[in-house]
Amino acid sequence: MLRLIIRRLFTALPTLAAVILLSFLLMRIAPGGPFDGERPLDPATRAALERSYGLDKPLPEQAVLYVGRLARGDFGPSLVYRDFTVTDLVRQGLPVSLTLGALALLVALGLGLAAGLAAAAWPGRWPDALLMLAATLLTALPSFVTGPLLVLVFGLGMGWLPVSGWADGDPAHLVLPVIALALPVAGAVAKLSRAGLAGVLGQDHIRSARARGLSPARILIRHALRPALLPVASYLGPAAAGLLTGAVVIETVFALPGLGRYFVQGALNRDYPLVLGVVTLYAGLIILFNLFADLLYGWLDPRIRA
Amino acid sequence: MRARVPLVLLALVLLAALAGPAALPWRYDAIDWSAVRAPPLSPGHLLGTDSVGRDLLARTLVGTRVTLAVAAAAALVALVIGVAWGAAAGWIGGRTDEAMMRIVDALYALPFMFVVILLMVLFGRSILLVFLGIGAVEWLTMARVVRGQVLALRERPFVIAAEAAGARPVRIVIGHVLPNLAGIALAYLLLTVPQVVMVESFLSFLGLGVQEPLTSLGILVKDGADDMDIAPHALLVPGLLLVAILVCLTLAGERLRDQVGA
Repeated sequence: MLRLIIRRLFTALPTLAAVILLSFLLMRIAPGGPFDGERPLDPATRAALERSYGLDKPLPEQAVLYVGRLARGDFGPSLVYRDFTVTDLVRQGLPVSLTLGALALLVALGLGLAAGLAAAAWPGRWPDALLMLAATLLTALPSFVTGPLLVLVFGLGMGWLPVSGWADGDPAHLVLPVIALALPVAGAVAKLSRAGLAGVLGQDHIRSARARGLSPARILIRHALRPALLPVASYLGPAAAGLLTGAVVIETVFALPGLGRYFVQGALNRDYPLVLGVVTLYAGLIILFNLFADLLYGWLDPRIRA
Repeated sequence: MRARVPLVLLALVLLAALAGPAALPWRYDAIDWSAVRAPPLSPGHLLGTDSVGRDLLARTLVGTRVTLAVAAAAALVALVIGVAWGAAAGWIGGRTDEAMMRIVDALYALPFMFVVILLMVLFGRSILLVFLGIGAVEWLTMARVVRGQVLALRERPFVIAAEAAGARPVRIVIGHVLPNLAGIALAYLLLTVPQVVMVESFLSFLGLGVQEPLTSLGILVKDGADDMDIAPHALLVPGLLLVAILVCLTLAGERLRDQVGA
């Protein structure tokens, strides 16, 4: 187990390095720089600024220096939010984004599995057809449309919930963004678990369980659910990537001070260390999450533990 | 009959987007100073106007046209990359196959939207780049599906016969293998289009995709969301149309996929 984890972490390193280098190069070959303002800087000032941030050194040297600092956990200074290091900004934004993403994942798994189980309990009947149509609708709904629509109905229309802002993590402020972010993932989870259950329910051990007179609910939950969860587990990695990406838009729609907004602002401002820091962090998070999904996969299906 | 509903709706939307703007009295960027934020069904503006008095119907139709054009182009880019990558991996096989598929797995798991956002921000925001960037991200599923098909096809007698007859590999792949996976590729192409529409709208929503005065459904949703407390119809019209297009494309694609049996 431990050896598997260590091996997987090592094989993830090249991927992480490739992402960092790719983003690094993309930012640097693009026109424009962090010190382009409305008013052109006087050349001596610009040169001094670039020297103090090490931007005057040759690119390969900068890349090596950056990776070296990164290895020590130092993301460097923000070039635009002066007086803040990227680590400061991450410390502010990451908890918001992680709260949003984790809650959305939980809601999506809960809703999706419940819908998948209900659909599989009445295969081919109207609850099945209705739930699967709803799941298709959900996966086709982009969160930047559902977000504003939810605000329009529940925020502005009914006045039940606040429409934007973070308010130090006040639960009422989280309801709409979490739902908007969770719905497409919930739809995908429902479809995958329904398909998984349909595959398992035709197998011999289910027939045996039925022959022993177990109740349908007990068969579904105790005997069919675990193997049927495999497709859901392998979807968790892409789901995490989708949630982190979706959070960029949701944070914009609901004016939440998360990391995604810093990323978009940072890219617009050519704030190299901020953008690189966020990309690196997100890539790392997603790699970790994929590892977790793999371990979960092994736990669900002992045959593939190797 | 019921199965055709999505396709018929899509055809109607396409027709309206292509022919509609020319038939309307207002251009999509023309401002009617006498009717700012007019509600739907007001005289001269069937669906009302937006916050600066531009006809919403004209804007929505032009936005649909741009969104669908970008999506079609990007889906084609994804098709070309995905089929080439998947066919190469499946045909060559062995270590090469394994390495190529490991790359696909790795890319699948990465926040690739972030790289696209970077691309958009850094290299100006041309439409060309929008669809190249999106197409470069959305080819992964296509590559997986095509590889699986190629693996199965290369064991089939007619392919083995072609090999035995001494045909060059490139010729076998293009002449014998690719025609046999056209159906599945088409189904996944149809399923890629809603993905691409979503990415394009996502970028436009963030202000990184299509630029004013040109418009797309993503921009219209964004404008409508900014103005929804005063003029909710400016959000509802493009938002619901976008949702309808996405749902129809998904339903049609899934149906085709089930029919070709993949």
